[in-house]
Amino acid sequence: MNAFDLTEDQHDCLQELINVAMGQASDQLARYLDTFVYLKVPSIEQVRSELLFDSLNHDLKATSIVSQGFFGYEGIRGEALLMYQPLDSSRLADLLGYEADELSFDEQMIDLSSILTTTFLNVFASQIDNQMSYSAPRLLSTNLNTINQHIQQQSFNWDYALKVRISYQVTDYSFNCDMVLLIPEEAISNIKAVIDRILADF
Amino acid sequence: MSTRVLICDDSNLARKQVLRSLPENLSTDVQLAKDGQEALDILRNQHIDILFLDLTMPIIDGLGVLQALKDEEINLPVFVISADVQPEMQNRVLALGAKAFLRKPMQLDTLNEHLKSHGFL
Repeated sequence: MNAFDLTEDQHDCLQELINVAMGQASDQLARYLDTFVYLKVPSIEQVRSELLFDSLNHDLKATSIVSQGFFGYEGIRGEALLMYQPLDSSRLADLLGYEADELSFDEQMIDLSSILTTTFLNVFASQIDNQMSYSAPRLLSTNLNTINQHIQQQSFNWDYALKVRISYQVTDYSFNCDMVLLIPEEAISNIKAVIDRILADF
Repeated sequence: MSTRVLICDDSNLARKQVLRSLPENLSTDVQLAKDGQEALDILRNQHIDILFLDLTMPIIDGLGVLQALKDEEINLPVFVISADVQPEMQNRVLALGAKAFLRKPMQLDTLNEHLKSHGFL
């Protein structure tokens, strides 16, 4: 066990905060797409940076990735990656209710990602009496080196990261999207402090 | 005789939150289950008066529990407490026989209202 590991209680508490946030994000997604979103139990794991990229690679069946940074009070921050499985542009426009040439494919991906990320993180933040601000979402190439570079460019220390993975499955459209939150090591201890405050009430 | 309560949620914190929110008359005989399988094992062998049930859980989820109760004709009031607040999920749960759908994080007033309307208060 190192300083960044979560205890069983901390893990449980974080998972419950995430459950509530993903429930509301999926409700938004369901309303936006006018469909039902199937949720699974989220996964939370701590990874070393060299393995982080391996584990992302393992997850990467995605053809489009949108990345958005988040910054809260008390040093809570990280990067949210929205990873989409193959989906063609006209199908996405149809899903989102746009005319075929109303928005480019890239703009549509960014639009949808921003809704999911900000809904999720706003609900997450409100539960811990925090407030998030966001960097502009960026569509990344699915080339792993590009993602690696993008993450390394953030001015965080990424030796260790907390990796939270949430799957949103829209079964009737075969539309799948994974939200991966990467929380750099310097923010993990800040999250742990917030969680400990919640746990102290129980 | 006290009311026999079962709380089923995969989160220890969530189970404690429910336990702490229960009025005095419901908090003396409480059992806890951390997934749907554990809850069904208890429900098949003991009389329980009210079940508080989460939905998103490993092994057997909340919908699975509701379906099993229906199939096996185990009748008891089930209050679903879930973060999955999609209207369609609420409809599915109520169609499977749940008495109430409570959103997480649970509001004490809402819980008490539902308990009252089902004669537990």
